Amino acid sequence: MSDPVTIQTAGVAAGGEVQETTAPGSGKPRSLWQDAWAELRKQPLFWISLALLAVFIVMAIFPQLFTGKDPAFAELRRSLEPPSAAAWFGYDLQGRDVYARTIYGARASVVVGVLTTVLAVLVGVIMGVIGGFAGGWVDSLTSRIGEIFIGVPYLLGAILILSTVAPAQENPGAVLITAVVIIVLSVLSWPIVARIARSSLLSVKHADYVLAARALGASPGRIIFRHLLPNSLAPIIVVATISMGSYISAEATLSFLGVGLRAPVISWGIAIADHTDYLRTALHAMLFPSIFLSVCVLAFVMLGDAVRSALDPKLR
Amino acid sequence: MGRYTIRRLLQLIPVLLGTTFLINFMVWQLPGGNPFANRCGDRPCPEAFVAAMTEQFGLNDPFWLQYLKYLTNVLQGNLGVNFNQVPVIDLIKLAYPTTIKLALLAVAIEAVVGIGLGVISGLKKGGFFDSSITIFTLFLLSLPVFVTGFTLQWILGIQLGIINPTVSAGAPWSELIVPAIVLASLNMAFTTRLTRTSIVENFRADYVRTAVAKGLPRRRVVGIHLLRNSAIPVVTFLGTEIGALMGGAIVTEGIFNITGIGGLLFGSIGRRDYTVVVPVATLLVVVYLLANLLVDLLYGVLDPRIRYE
Repeated sequence: MSDPVTIQTAGVAAGGEVQETTAPGSGKPRSLWQDAWAELRKQPLFWISLALLAVFIVMAIFPQLFTGKDPAFAELRRSLEPPSAAAWFGYDLQGRDVYARTIYGARASVVVGVLTTVLAVLVGVIMGVIGGFAGGWVDSLTSRIGEIFIGVPYLLGAILILSTVAPAQENPGAVLITAVVIIVLSVLSWPIVARIARSSLLSVKHADYVLAARALGASPGRIIFRHLLPNSLAPIIVVATISMGSYISAEATLSFLGVGLRAPVISWGIAIADHTDYLRTALHAMLFPSIFLSVCVLAFVMLGDAVRSALDPKLR
Repeated sequence: MGRYTIRRLLQLIPVLLGTTFLINFMVWQLPGGNPFANRCGDRPCPEAFVAAMTEQFGLNDPFWLQYLKYLTNVLQGNLGVNFNQVPVIDLIKLAYPTTIKLALLAVAIEAVVGIGLGVISGLKKGGFFDSSITIFTLFLLSLPVFVTGFTLQWILGIQLGIINPTVSAGAPWSELIVPAIVLASLNMAFTTRLTRTSIVENFRADYVRTAVAKGLPRRRVVGIHLLRNSAIPVVTFLGTEIGALMGGAIVTEGIFNITGIGGLLFGSIGRRDYTVVVPVATLLVVVYLLANLLVDLLYGVLDPRIRYE
């Protein structure tokens, strides 16, 4: 759960196409990735979302840059005090600074969104490639396993698993709580990636260049990594960026219901859940976390939108 | 078609076995500890009570036997009793009508508003209305359901006083409208986008060009040729989502204090009454899977170009 992971993975998701463009020689016709990058560069939505994401990622790594206050410091006599010059967003039920807690809350959301995506894509691509490449009973088996996990409605499944796993943990730390949420969300979402990876792989499996590679005696590993994967990557990247926002939203919903992230972790979902009873008297305590949460999801959704319209030729 | 239906139904069996096994395993095996531990108020439960309950619910059996018993019971339509000896089927009968009302309203809103906005913005592609709709759906997509719920509850219920902030017992249709909007909001945005894409794509299709070239009035081209063909993916999306809505109702029902299936499920999870959790979750999964299957079959009916072997 170290921060460099966050930067690295976010960088790949946002700028993976950049590196691709420089790889082929300049004399050749533009590849899909160069096309996509040219398309992406023209979209204002892409740049807006990138700027917003940059802010949230910096906020997740260095919350101290935005606030000097301790988010855990509580003064009960200040409980639910409205926003003032001393505390821009007011104080929450425990008398903690809402601004500081909202800033520190970014970390949980960004980490859950990015790591869930990485894990779901990793497992999904492996299962999809195994099924699509091997075919036959292996394909049937991986598809059926995936169907079992998709067969449970997403939110219902997450609530069931999380509420049954939680009592088993004795005094878990922040890292363990977050890890459990990430694992549960990815367990329920990898089949979607697997399905897309599989169908995308099947569509290029019988292409001439794959047959040629096979005829030349290339090993299965070489065929998969050099030919099949690079050529079936686009839909996987699209679904990965689009779903990142929905994972953040799902994490907040689960935390709101009390089965997702819990106390030592600071999260927008928890902050909102803690103050639902004070909707009439102290709106500020849940208003600001809600705004941050929505803007963060918005940034990811916009990025997904931009990437999809750049990579999907049908939408142009 | 008949053979395809049978094959799909047969494929459903392993999935159903898998999901029910998964649910049973998670609910009964994962939490550990004694589910009757905190059931007698402040004092510890008498040994005899725990022993009797353990015996009644067969918790001493090995897990595979428990699962087998559960399967035979469900297949005979017997959902058992909860830890307070109330038949689970009665609890479901009390809660289900409200949730079905809520889901139907939500689907109606999704269909009417989503398709309406999608058609208009698809026909006027690139215009001011189209751009505003795109931005509007973007915002809807980024608002988590509970944020939408609390916002509407606060503005309409508390500030303006137009609606009751919470739904009263019995859940009359009129009070369910706002919760249904909240429940529908996310899918409404998806429906709008899907309709728009579908319309834009089909507008370039050969049959539309032919219809225009024949000199048909625009109303007929749009109404008969374009809309019908663009409806196919939208209808299938709406169908699939009916099943998912039942699960999504958990949050909406919680915010507006509606006593439906979501509330029943979530409350039972909180009380660790697994005898209710398992059948209700199974019911939701079955509804979800059947809705998916129906949609798959409907697809072939709506679009004759799709042929099942």
